[in-house]
Amino acid sequence: MSPIDWIVLGFTLGGIIAYGLYKGRATKDLDGYFLSNRSVPWYMVLLGIMGTQASAVTFLSAPGQAYTDGMRFVQYYFGLPLAMVVLCITFVPVFHRLKVYTAYEFLEQRFDLKTRTLTSFLFLVQRGLSTGISISAPSIILSSLLGWDLLWTTIFMGGVLIVYTVSGGAKAVAYTQQLQMIIIFSGLAIAGYVVVHQLPKGVGLTEILHIGGKAGKLNIITTGFERRGAGSGAGGGRGGFDWNDRYNLVSGVIGGFFLQLSYFGTDQSQVGRYLTARSLTESRLGLLINGLVKIPMQFMILLLGVMVFAFYQFHKEPVFFNQTQIKLLEHSKYKDSLATLSGRYDALEAQRIVTLRSVDSAGWPYAIVDPALVDSHLAAMEREKAGYKATVRRWLDDKTVGGDSNDTNYIFLRFVTDYLPAGLIGLLIAVIFLAAWGSIAATLNSLASCTIVDFHKRFSRRNLSDKQEYRLSQLYTLIWGVFCVAMAQLAYGLGNSLIEAVNVLGSLFYGVILGIFLVAFYRKKIGGQAVFISAVIVETGVIVLTVLSRKGIVPLGFLWFNVIGAIGVVLLSELLQPLMRRPQQQQ
Amino acid sequence: MDKEKVPLFGKWSYWYALVIGFLVVCVAVFYFLTKHFS
Repeated sequence: MSPIDWIVLGFTLGGIIAYGLYKGRATKDLDGYFLSNRSVPWYMVLLGIMGTQASAVTFLSAPGQAYTDGMRFVQYYFGLPLAMVVLCITFVPVFHRLKVYTAYEFLEQRFDLKTRTLTSFLFLVQRGLSTGISISAPSIILSSLLGWDLLWTTIFMGGVLIVYTVSGGAKAVAYTQQLQMIIIFSGLAIAGYVVVHQLPKGVGLTEILHIGGKAGKLNIITTGFERRGAGSGAGGGRGGFDWNDRYNLVSGVIGGFFLQLSYFGTDQSQVGRYLTARSLTESRLGLLINGLVKIPMQFMILLLGVMVFAFYQFHKEPVFFNQTQIKLLEHSKYKDSLATLSGRYDALEAQRIVTLRSVDSAGWPYAIVDPALVDSHLAAMEREKAGYKATVRRWLDDKTVGGDSNDTNYIFLRFVTDYLPAGLIGLLIAVIFLAAWGSIAATLNSLASCTIVDFHKRFSRRNLSDKQEYRLSQLYTLIWGVFCVAMAQLAYGLGNSLIEAVNVLGSLFYGVILGIFLVAFYRKKIGGQAVFISAVIVETGVIVLTVLSRKGIVPLGFLWFNVIGAIGVVLLSELLQPLMRRPQQQQ
Repeated sequence: MDKEKVPLFGKWSYWYALVIGFLVVCVAVFYFLTKHFS
């Protein structure tokens, strides 16, 4: 990075910390620390829930995912608008009426203490672990691409935000998220403009869509019935429904609905955002507008990946985006083979680009738009190029090398560092940090609120003053911050696409937690004993199913675990309830 | 329970219809893009 990049990065991050400290300075009690004194307007609720959901991994992985797998990942969010509607009808009015600090407080009023404690505990475990991944994922990518020390990058990624989160609580989180989201959207919009600007003359958005479409990147809608290998677009061959397919219309609407309902309705990191609203109306408005803007926003982020794909059709594409892995090969038994391969690859890329530019005199971009214009020579070069890339991946998968053959997360940032002008690189790196900070800060605040409200205050016999509660909340926020950074250090080596790792981990617990809340809201005759036993049994089953799925024994995409967990708890509770005594407490 | 005025449309059910309707429009537009550019 150039000095101007460092100045932009330092100024942006320093400004956010200062702003967070300034805005949170008046907070002195529990209500202010965890709920911003219930004073936040709807647009800050909106930016808060968007900033909490969109972590750094979202902005790093999503363009790379569109680049490699196409835009079908957007279907993952199709259940979100439906979930927002259900939340506004059922969950949010109850949380506001009861004036709870955490979603799990409601479960004690509806069921009993042990159900509240179990659910809050599941949240703490799941969030604590996944936040570690949320810190480690961007840290690995930044340290690999920029040559930064991994430990210090991790500390900076997950540790610096602790300063304003501990100091100002929910108010500091809400105000900084507002500013962070504005900077993030601006940064991405500028990056998109620069990509298009750097494309050859005559290549605009329509041509980009044609290029992406011909390469199978515009597979935005897939039904799940396409046969694998028969084309993933809507026009692919027909077959039975692929239950193992992670992103399609069916799993996106059904599985995504259960996941998003659980995430926004029962995950304290989100509940804590809309409970800060000054009224029920402001909470609802923030959530519903999130339901309107989330899918277009995700579409635009994925489109950025397709733009980068189009860009590399006319510029030299690296044989592997993660340069650290190439260096690993340079010090392995494949050193000589790599040198030979790199020479051939570079010559091939140079030849491919010259060929591509010279095919069509009327407008060479159409050389790859219209297959009739693509001569067999060019197609053969594409196949040869794919072969070189596959060879590099195979070498990295060799146990004696111990590399990571998944390149998805490095594509966008490598493009940024290689092709964006000085200053803009610093801004885009700042965007990654800010996205991480917004998400992690909200999580730390929620982890601390559950720890103090659902555990410390609930089980401690000592009465605390407002000041003592406030100080204790700060201490718990600090402890969770240190814990998450430590978890990030342990999380290295998870592999695969990191955004999916976070989502898979969430799906382990979200379904069961949602099932408990669905019983609470919709099955008034079921008591705490039945739902508690059901939750323990179904959670065990989901974990077993996950292990079987990872081993390939049960072919099931992770989004379906949410459905199984939620429906499993509801049905098992129904079956067990007649065997139990009548519930002691009912809403 | 909720006595506050509903912004813009007067009823929350209209808001819910808007959100669900917009989802349907998004899916339709995406389907068109998928078919058109594949």
